Amino acid sequence: MPETIPLTDRAPGEIMFRRGAEAITIGRFLADVAALAASLPDRAYALNLCSDRYHALLGLAAAVSRGHVMLLSADRTERRLDEIAAAYPDLYVMTDGGIGPQPSGGWHPLAGAVQVEAMGQGQSGPSPEIPADRVAIIGFTSGSTGEPAAHPKPWGALVGATRAAAARFGFQGPEVTNLVATVPPQHMYGFETTMAMPLHAATASHDGPHFYPVEIAEALHAVPAPRVLITTPLQMRALLGSGEALPDLACVISATAPLAPELAAGAEAAWETEVLEIYGATEIGSIASRRTTEGDIWSLYDGIEFERDGEDAVLVSVPGMPCPVVLADAVAFEPDRRFRLLGRRADMVKLAGKRASLTSLNRLLLQVKGVEDGVFVAPEDLDINPAARLMVYAVAPDHSPAEILAALRGQVDPVFLPRRVVLVSSLPRNEIGKLTRHALDALRRQPVHEAE
Amino acid sequence: MSSAIAIESEVAALIVEALHLEMTPEEIDPDAALFGEGLGLDSIDALEIALAVSRRYGFQLRSDDERNGQIFASLRNLAAHIDKNRVQ
Repeated sequence: MPETIPLTDRAPGEIMFRRGAEAITIGRFLADVAALAASLPDRAYALNLCSDRYHALLGLAAAVSRGHVMLLSADRTERRLDEIAAAYPDLYVMTDGGIGPQPSGGWHPLAGAVQVEAMGQGQSGPSPEIPADRVAIIGFTSGSTGEPAAHPKPWGALVGATRAAAARFGFQGPEVTNLVATVPPQHMYGFETTMAMPLHAATASHDGPHFYPVEIAEALHAVPAPRVLITTPLQMRALLGSGEALPDLACVISATAPLAPELAAGAEAAWETEVLEIYGATEIGSIASRRTTEGDIWSLYDGIEFERDGEDAVLVSVPGMPCPVVLADAVAFEPDRRFRLLGRRADMVKLAGKRASLTSLNRLLLQVKGVEDGVFVAPEDLDINPAARLMVYAVAPDHSPAEILAALRGQVDPVFLPRRVVLVSSLPRNEIGKLTRHALDALRRQPVHEAE
Repeated sequence: MSSAIAIESEVAALIVEALHLEMTPEEIDPDAALFGEGLGLDSIDALEIALAVSRRYGFQLRSDDERNGQIFASLRNLAAHIDKNRVQ
């Protein structure tokens, strides 16, 4: 790997972003980056909370240009932001005051935050050389202890992953592929596909918003071919169900949760295109892909290596990353750099593209005043039903389910809040105080009125 | 029953059915927030509601509605928004 890699290797006249009808070239972008970079404070870490995708990308590029590390958090609860602020006391916040989730009002680092905006005053700027081994971003997951686990990614690893994905999906030009993504830029999947991609692959990201089906359809109609929809099983299902007509698509890419083969087949038939899936994780980024309708075998990207570590753990080596990372899922190896997923390892749950450990959720539940015992339970169809949610069994005399739910808000990301809180007189713990999988299954199958 | 209340109970029933909520439509407070502190819905639910609304009332919900009109602020607001935009 070379010692330095430029911020972008694309020509100044190439389109790299589309905001509504406005096409932004690399030159214009670099002018915006230079203006923003000059206004940043002399601090080591930038927490990028911009909700506008172009602003978020400017924030990344300006921070990296200055040698600052960008902190990337899809979890916007006050608890998580406080944890990040405590772990990185030298951080500053980037915001654009736009729509979208923001930390609640009293959050102190927001005072004095850098306001990101597109200056729009130039058509060219420098593309600084960035040391390949310098950490560019840090992503976060919920560690099993409940504390956020930090996953630093060097600049070289970030660019390497972008180029591997671009090769896999055919984003190598000269034609610029237009990417319409329904995933937020602060999620690792949205970050890689819509922020890192336009810097080093012949793509242009569309701004959004693209949340509801009609907005996704309009954005796709608004950009020229070739176009690619980058989405999730949940939104694909909603879009397909809406019956909105879509223009020609080069392909659809899905990630964050396993895509049901029937849904993939339905989308391929309705939109006359290929549906491809990306497999990855916050710690490592995307590492493999498959065409869902062709079966359950995944192919590793070029350069990624797997190595078995103990009985069910797998170590993943990513070019440019200083050391291998343990995969959150169990896998079976297949020939030719391919593998099958055997499901997530115990304790981790994934909803709306976010991961949490049940152990850490249970710890937060037990911290609720008045809760003597309690447990989060995942439904059996969690991995295949995009709308599935967790539930809670709690022993809390003198407290109502609503009170427990209210106490969990602000502590737990909204998607992990229990859809139902069932109060019980005791939990079926065994002689050593453990809740076995079997006992939890039995509890879950009990009709609610009996459990109460 | 006034038409406003009629549409509110209709939308309440739609929400309970679409989201498989363990409550009756009558238990949704028409003035309580659907997201956050009130009913506690999230972005996954918003998509489910959007899908149900497009099937039942023939129009699509949008983010800018949500931003400006705060249609998800309460059942009352959502019902009024649906009543104004429905095409079937």
